[in-house]
Amino acid sequence: MNRRSRGSSSSSSSGSVGGASDSYRRRSDVPRNRSNDNTKGGDSADVSFIVGTCSSMCPERERVTRERLRDLSVFERLHGNPTKSSSDLAVKKFCRTLSAADVQASDVRPLSVLEETLSYLLSLLDSREHPFEVVHDFIFDRTRSIRQDLSIQNLASEGVIHLYEEIVKFHVISRQRLQGCSGTSISSMHHLNMEQLAKTLTTLYNIYDANRKPDYIYENEAEFRSLYVLLHLNTSSGVMGEPLSLWFRKLTSNLIKSKEMCFVRKLLRSYRNGNYRSFLRTTASEATYLQYCISEPHIREMRSFAVECINNVCYKLQPYPLLRLSHNLMMKEMDVESLCHECGLEIRTDSDGSIVLPTKQTNFCRPKEGFRNYDLIGIEVERLL
Amino acid sequence: MAYVSMGEAHRRITEYLNRFCDAVSYQDSSMLCRLLSFSSNSPSLLSLADALNVFQDASSLIRQSDKFSEYGEILAHLFRSLQSYRVGNLVEAYLAFEKFANAFVQEFRNWESAWALEALYVVCYEVRILAEKADKELTSNGKSPEKLKAAGSLLMKVFGVLAGKGPKRVGALYVTCQLFKTYFKLGTVNLCRSVIRSIETARIFDFEEFPRRDKVTYMYYTGRLEVFNENFPAADTKLSYALQHCNPERERNIRMILKYLIPVKLSLGVIPKDELLQKYNLHEYMNVVQALRKGDLRLLRHALQEHEDRYVFPLTSYCTYLHLNCIVAVFLRSGVYLVLEKLELQVYQRLMKKIYIIQKLSDPARAHQLKLEVIAKALRWLEIDMDLDEVECIMTILIYKNLVKGYLAHKSKVVVLSKQDPFPKLNGKPVGS
Repeated sequence: MNRRSRGSSSSSSSGSVGGASDSYRRRSDVPRNRSNDNTKGGDSADVSFIVGTCSSMCPERERVTRERLRDLSVFERLHGNPTKSSSDLAVKKFCRTLSAADVQASDVRPLSVLEETLSYLLSLLDSREHPFEVVHDFIFDRTRSIRQDLSIQNLASEGVIHLYEEIVKFHVISRQRLQGCSGTSISSMHHLNMEQLAKTLTTLYNIYDANRKPDYIYENEAEFRSLYVLLHLNTSSGVMGEPLSLWFRKLTSNLIKSKEMCFVRKLLRSYRNGNYRSFLRTTASEATYLQYCISEPHIREMRSFAVECINNVCYKLQPYPLLRLSHNLMMKEMDVESLCHECGLEIRTDSDGSIVLPTKQTNFCRPKEGFRNYDLIGIEVERLL
Repeated sequence: MAYVSMGEAHRRITEYLNRFCDAVSYQDSSMLCRLLSFSSNSPSLLSLADALNVFQDASSLIRQSDKFSEYGEILAHLFRSLQSYRVGNLVEAYLAFEKFANAFVQEFRNWESAWALEALYVVCYEVRILAEKADKELTSNGKSPEKLKAAGSLLMKVFGVLAGKGPKRVGALYVTCQLFKTYFKLGTVNLCRSVIRSIETARIFDFEEFPRRDKVTYMYYTGRLEVFNENFPAADTKLSYALQHCNPERERNIRMILKYLIPVKLSLGVIPKDELLQKYNLHEYMNVVQALRKGDLRLLRHALQEHEDRYVFPLTSYCTYLHLNCIVAVFLRSGVYLVLEKLELQVYQRLMKKIYIIQKLSDPARAHQLKLEVIAKALRWLEIDMDLDEVECIMTILIYKNLVKGYLAHKSKVVVLSKQDPFPKLNGKPVGS
């Protein structure tokens, strides 16, 4: 289940610095509006795309400026000095107000440098020195800058696909780990994270589609496409704008038949029919780590739905044993207790000592939006971290 | 291409020019339609095209006469387009036709009455069709298709010209439908929203004023959009309208409407008669309907699976756009797959009802008790292996969603049905959540 991606130097155009062989769009085809955040300059009017020449993770002039302005992240400081960095530590920042006219080739990093940069950034995920929010914030911004550089140069080779896939993974993993954090800014961080996740996925899909050979799908494409379905299980969640029925129309036959897409369609069916048992069991036995992370809010939803149904439907004189419920919902018994409380339901201890949920209680309420997720007992996936 | 002498070519071209100018002078819309309808491949247009390709300098002919030169720009582009069309240069043909269309629309604006509306419809139709052909040519040459998108912009412009207070406004719905067809083909259906908003909220438009044919087409497409967005009651209203008002002789159109209306109706608990499915050749739904009637879950799943993979017809242009070389699956492509998957719960309901009826026959006193074990056995008989936990889960949902009335005594592993109306009908509402 562990989908370890290939090494970062497997780009098919190793050595070459952008150029026509990497271009996935012919100049005349550049769409006028792009959905991801990057240069607002009139790209369609530009005659050529920039070919980056910056050989370090951060262009020298930016590093010098930021040193002077004391605008260095904790990760960029040499020996903790807020005014000194180095070419090993400084990483180019995301710049919102970039216009094509202002960009110089020496400010833009070519693919090989971007690969190294991303590798370095992702290695920071393991850092225990700083709280995760700080780590996330840094990587969030710097990966956005990587995407910007990729976009300015109109790069889209297989190496680029790999970069985008890794960035998607970062956002998904962040989603998981931000749950364990507390603080007032966490909720907006989470929201922004999901926003960038959606944007990165969109770009990734565009690159998969451009230069598509008939009947060919990329190595990880099925899994990354399946994430779209998981983000849209609920009809009202227009995370990326297009209703699922329309989205499915565009998939190739190979994709539709892939294991990953069959899995998410099964989940979709279970979800839409309210079949919590099938939903949880299927997730536990077939989900990859990424798919599991994205499914978490729905796992939670299905569990509270199950509690709601059971409370509503079961015979009053036969309270539902928590042990049984924990088996059905694939949770630890004490987590089930916690969930019941979140739903406003009381539990009690029976005459023979077992804990039960009395049914037909009238106080049921859907648990508030939050990050509290309980483990999925029985899940067979290896954690990546 | 047939051999044409210069003299004959001259004659044909002059004849056409006369017809065109007379049509405009006498406001003869149907004549004008015939003169512009490239895709009809009428012998007269084809022979004109041959003449143009021989004569080569039709513009001099146009300039020579005051009568003709009044429409010089329009005719020059039109001729160029026709010439290219005839020799199979579809991209060139489209580009020239686009220029013609722009010039024509300018002229149309100046004509006060709406006499040329039918001709304008033909122009819009030809723009779209030529654009599709041009895109096919582009794709087959390895370039990216962009003409249909351009045609969309042109059509929007035409819409703008018609969206005014005068008599020309009744043409707006036709153009809207051409836009729908364009956007659906391109896959950019979200663009439909703005033109729908104009039609439905602008005060200059009164929906009832539009021609019947256009209203049917409009409701068909907006109904489909509702299906995509899973608003089933709205989809039902619109598609039913389309069905009711559609010309009964247009069997192909009725079939297209039913293709979407049937799944919508199914999800609202309304089952079509077999005769209807037979008459309009909707075999893909027969098994689904059968499964619903019998409560046969296995049949439902097989039906969905079969038509997921089944080869029906290649959506050639659409596939070409996406560089696909594959044949498409019926349900997923038409976007109704998700609608149909939700029918599972209704099939379960039917199955429970059948079990209940059978029990009533053999032991009426205890018929209202459905043992989970019995249900599991029935499912096994349908080759569906489900453990008691999942059976319990399904029953819980059915009761919660009011497809079954009663309660679950989990300890006794039995569902106790209500004595009255234990399997309520949906009555036109989607399955509750």
